[in-house]
Amino acid sequence: MSEVLESLFVLGTSHHATPLEVRERFALTEAQASDLQKQLHSLEGIRECLVLNTCNRLEIYCLADSIERAKEISSLICDKQNVPSELYQQFAYSHNNLEALQHLLEVSAGLDSQMVGETEILGQLKQAYVTAREAHCTGKVLNRLFEKSFQAAKVTRTQTGITRGKISIGNVTVDLASRIFGKLGNSRVLLLGSGEVGEKTAQALKSRGIGDISVSSRTFENADTLANNLGVTAIDFDSFVDQLEHFDIIICSTAAPDALISKEVITRAMNQRPERPCFLIDLAMPRDVDPSVEEVENVYLYNLDDLSNIANENLEARKAEIDKAREILKKHAWNLWLQLRRRELMLKA
Amino acid sequence: MFNEIIMTDRTTFAIAAAIYGGAFLFGLISLLMRRAYSRTIMFALLCGGFLIQTIALNLRGAEIKACPLGNPFEIAQFLAWSLVLLFFIIGPAFRLRLLGGFTAGLATLLVAGSFALPSWDAPYPPGIFGDNHWIELHAALAIFSYGFFAILSLVSAMFLIQQHGLKKKQFKGVYQHLPSVQQLDLMARRLLITGVIVLTASLAFGAVFWINNFELVPVFKLTATCLIWLGYLTVFILRIQKKLVTRRHAIATIALFILAMASLWPVQSARDTEALTEGLPTQVER
Repeated sequence: MSEVLESLFVLGTSHHATPLEVRERFALTEAQASDLQKQLHSLEGIRECLVLNTCNRLEIYCLADSIERAKEISSLICDKQNVPSELYQQFAYSHNNLEALQHLLEVSAGLDSQMVGETEILGQLKQAYVTAREAHCTGKVLNRLFEKSFQAAKVTRTQTGITRGKISIGNVTVDLASRIFGKLGNSRVLLLGSGEVGEKTAQALKSRGIGDISVSSRTFENADTLANNLGVTAIDFDSFVDQLEHFDIIICSTAAPDALISKEVITRAMNQRPERPCFLIDLAMPRDVDPSVEEVENVYLYNLDDLSNIANENLEARKAEIDKAREILKKHAWNLWLQLRRRELMLKA
Repeated sequence: MFNEIIMTDRTTFAIAAAIYGGAFLFGLISLLMRRAYSRTIMFALLCGGFLIQTIALNLRGAEIKACPLGNPFEIAQFLAWSLVLLFFIIGPAFRLRLLGGFTAGLATLLVAGSFALPSWDAPYPPGIFGDNHWIELHAALAIFSYGFFAILSLVSAMFLIQQHGLKKKQFKGVYQHLPSVQQLDLMARRLLITGVIVLTASLAFGAVFWINNFELVPVFKLTATCLIWLGYLTVFILRIQKKLVTRRHAIATIALFILAMASLWPVQSARDTEALTEGLPTQVER
């Protein structure tokens, strides 16, 4: 068992040191990742293994009879992907034993992610773990490590601010909309223009339960295509001004050279709905909404800069929590390491 | 024996005030540390303060053999008690974040203020309601309606803070923990309607006495009360007609509550002065 623990390692490439064009060459499909995992497990000396394959990282967690197995694994990956081994050696990293444990905990808590504190990685880790366990590629050690890493991630998120505040334009918009309307289920959204940022923002709102979304674009075909993509309805661009009073959230992302929504237009719409607030998100460049609209009572106007500022400040706040989170994870890693060593002694006895 | 009771009820009021103050400090420190406070702890602290204040009001009521609303100290205590009681009804039902902290703040201000001026707890003649239960009900309902207006002013203040944050693109600290502007505005509307109904009912009960005993009614008190009622009724009508909404509505309700509070002291003084001029006893030994 002593040798076993001494040969716990993680080998991988990630967004930290590996450029996108290199990561693309190592990218695996779900089936390829599963196949690689099975191949690794069938190698002599590999007792347990797990492949974590996301758009930002390809990592292999292994429990082997010797650390030297890491070389065999990297050769296998390079052969499989038809990539020179020198390239892999240039960008790959590896951690052993306690360091490997600490790394896993940091990955699961989102500390190692491009967007610090994001929680998607935890779902991906859980999925990778379930797949590996079902394929009988993991055993007592990796099962324990991964399950404990999920717990540690939860504790870290609760005790620090690494997940606090939204860091994407879409999620910042959802956050602001919640501060204005509370529950978003009954809100009506109008998406003006067929820009990508606007579409993603509308998707973020839809994911939070908004069902009533209308799309309008100068070219009706574009609006119709986008409406079909989002599963919503398209409305005529010429009539959107007359219908503004019916919408709670208006996302503007057209390529119009001048402002589409003036103070007069909004004032007229707000006179029809004095008690209901209106949230305007201007993602267009040049702007679609006259900045003086902000002066209208019960109207909240945010442009791309405002949303980016919020996202950036949230990201900075998360980064400020990294050291605190890392300390918590260190304690967890150390405790977990001691537990594994104790089990090892008991087995020996 | 009598002195012991005085010590007991004032001490009990003081303990309740300390607990409300603790709840407020707990909320304030949490917010200064940019954390949302634990609702359970806030609720437990307010529950503790409320229970002790209820005991204190009972002790005072047993002493004067009526609802303790005879001097500004008791009115402030009863108002704080009504405010916290309404929080227990509204808070869990509508899950308005931070309302507990704001309630603790105003309750602390009211009870601490009542202790700050010893003259507010001046003794008064027994039987202030003249054994007339309608008048007692009128007084209790009037102060209870002020409880509604107190919590309305808190909700309005929360609305103004959240709206300021949204307009000025502020999103950290207290802003991120406050309820949405729409929730707050809707709650303010409901509280205004309920408060006006309760105050109207209170005035209706009072009117039964006033009509039959007009010469006994302090004119200043009647005028001030009617003006406050008219003020709230006007805001109510304008709100129903959607002519006074959101920000202006919030400002109006806060201003009216401040006016209502400011009128309590002169109303009380007017009653004492009129009692003096009519040769009625104004103090009783405790």
